[in-house]
Amino acid sequence: MRLASLLVKELTQFLRDRVILLLILWLYTVEVVLCAYALGLDLRHLPLAVLDQDRTPMSRALVDGLTRGGAFDLVGHPADMRRAEEWLLQGRARAVLVIPPRFMQSLLRADAPDLQVLLDGSNANTAATARNYILQALQHLQSETGAGPPVEALVRVWYNPDLTNTRFIVLSMIALAALMVGVIHPAASIVREKEVGTIEQLRVTPIRTAELFLAKTLPTLAIGVLSVFPSLLIVWWFGVPLRGSLALFLLLTGLFLLSAIGIGVLIAAVCRTLQQALLLAFFGLFPIMFLSGTLAPIASMPGFLQTLSLGSPLRYYMDVILGIFLKGVGIEVLWPQALALAGIGALFFGLAALVFHRQQP
Amino acid sequence: MNVRRVSAVVLKESREILRDPITVGVSLLMPLVMLFLFGYAISLDVRHAALGVWDGDATPASRELVEALTGNEYFRLTAHYGSLHDLEQSLQRSEADLVLVIPPGFAADLVRGARPEVQVLVDGTYSATALLVSGFARAIIAGYRQSGRPQLLHLETRVWYNPSLNSANYVVPGLYAVILLAFPPLLTALGIVREKETGTIQSIFASPLTAAEFITGKLVPYSLIAFLQMVMVIAVGYAWFGVPFEGSLPFLLAAGLIYVLCTVGIGLLVSTVTRTQLVAMLLALIVTLMPSFLFSGLLFPIFTMPELLQLYTNVFPGRYFVDISRGVALKGAGLEILGFEVALLALYTLAVFLLAVWRLKKKVA
Repeated sequence: MRLASLLVKELTQFLRDRVILLLILWLYTVEVVLCAYALGLDLRHLPLAVLDQDRTPMSRALVDGLTRGGAFDLVGHPADMRRAEEWLLQGRARAVLVIPPRFMQSLLRADAPDLQVLLDGSNANTAATARNYILQALQHLQSETGAGPPVEALVRVWYNPDLTNTRFIVLSMIALAALMVGVIHPAASIVREKEVGTIEQLRVTPIRTAELFLAKTLPTLAIGVLSVFPSLLIVWWFGVPLRGSLALFLLLTGLFLLSAIGIGVLIAAVCRTLQQALLLAFFGLFPIMFLSGTLAPIASMPGFLQTLSLGSPLRYYMDVILGIFLKGVGIEVLWPQALALAGIGALFFGLAALVFHRQQP
Repeated sequence: MNVRRVSAVVLKESREILRDPITVGVSLLMPLVMLFLFGYAISLDVRHAALGVWDGDATPASRELVEALTGNEYFRLTAHYGSLHDLEQSLQRSEADLVLVIPPGFAADLVRGARPEVQVLVDGTYSATALLVSGFARAIIAGYRQSGRPQLLHLETRVWYNPSLNSANYVVPGLYAVILLAFPPLLTALGIVREKETGTIQSIFASPLTAAEFITGKLVPYSLIAFLQMVMVIAVGYAWFGVPFEGSLPFLLAAGLIYVLCTVGIGLLVSTVTRTQLVAMLLALIVTLMPSFLFSGLLFPIFTMPELLQLYTNVFPGRYFVDISRGVALKGAGLEILGFEVALLALYTLAVFLLAVWRLKKKVA
């Protein structure tokens, strides 16, 4: 009964604030769509300048082969090397292909002519990918002339056949939105009571800490899980398959939100003012985000960060969301992740309760 | 504007900041933590990817192919599968990142010169890893038993500005822009909205202090913090990560000063449209943090985005400063090359302040 009235109060407070609901919805929808469209890993439209000192059909065929797939955009033919270097410095071109004089002639005589590629390494990833593309294009050219490798590699990508980043981005943005809302909202709503002083009033009532936690947790949990539904529309729009069970996904999303809320509640326990809580929440979100595999693969991190990443609930949730959507796995594969999420949640709630009790006069 | 009154506000705000250990700690530690996380955690290099093998041929030739793949630091052998079912399970459970399938008759085809086909199955869930891993596998398999054969072409690639293609070298200079867009706007917005939410702004309005004096007094300490953060991050990036610094430091600091004003101005703008700190924080998250990560060209190059979204990236100042700081640090560019970006940044800053002043005036009136 006490709990019910407390819940009604929390829900009313939550729903009254339209702006917050709007911002949460924005994180779950618009931000996801923006990112899905914008953030690609594949090379597209890399500005390429060509210094063609040969000007033969063969050199043009080479340039055609590079620009045809959309990976490179031809931005022009610089007059000489000095001009090409200038373009690279200004960022007008990110790669320069230098085709030497008599390229065709030496190619026909099988003299192995020298091709030169200058890459702007100031974005290392793009440069590395561009280098691979050029190598592949040349390999292609070679195999067309019959000098192909003795073994043909047929690469097939599972769970994401066209190897786009879209599926991954859509799913990881939803996970990020859940994390942010889960941590920030409960932290703010509890500390607000502290700052305004209403927490003293709650303390003199028979309401226990556990009940207060529960009342603060449930609305965020409900909104967090409900907000997933508009995101599911986006997931469907981008053609991301749901291979596993929706019920399991919702259940584990709830578990993940609980662990995020646990972090929020702990922050609230430690802080006195709203400003402190928000800054600390902000501060806490970063390591959790970074050490989760959403921004960069965990396997590429140095060892000590990989160990640290075991503490990030988002890491387990990424396995869950990618596993259920793309691979269609069930609880028989995901139980360690579920266990880890539950453990992290319990740990943070426990710590928060401890801190709260010690603060009681 | 009265200097004495402004300095009184500056003093009050500085005291409030300094008295709060969490705010001070977060302001000073946060940029460094971000720097370290970025410098170490954002790397797309792949080493020791888990390779499973289903060898239907089991001949010296097929083993040689497996050794060609595992004899370097890119792949490590995790399992030989007995059945195709095991193979599927292992990919599903993420025990293997990729699987090499060698068909029966591989060696025989090779001898006949029939160019046998091997399959590489890649787990595509982490698309960044999948892209790299499949590229490595393709290159190694293409090079199998290739040595000694004549090359048709000779390709020489030279990478400028970052010859080792070290990811810290390009991430860290870009970060100068991101850290400043992630943090000062939030601090500033919270600093002002806090007074609104707790109601102390009423007593300030009742005092002889004008709105302009109040805002200036608020902005000075936060700009100082922001500038300090920038200097700190540049110093640590240079000293710890060994990021090259080719250009002129005074130029970068001068451009940085404009940028700091800009970010603090955005915080001011956010504070004029919000009433509670929670909303201010969520709004700051959406207009500063997310775009500064995702739409500034820090990790994802802007030229790969669709046209419409390229326009969207123009709305946030982060991308201009990413260009400036990378240009100065890596390319040694100066005003003659980055003049346009600096001018845009200055214009942007001016616009943000004008907008904020207009919003404030409307409120007071």
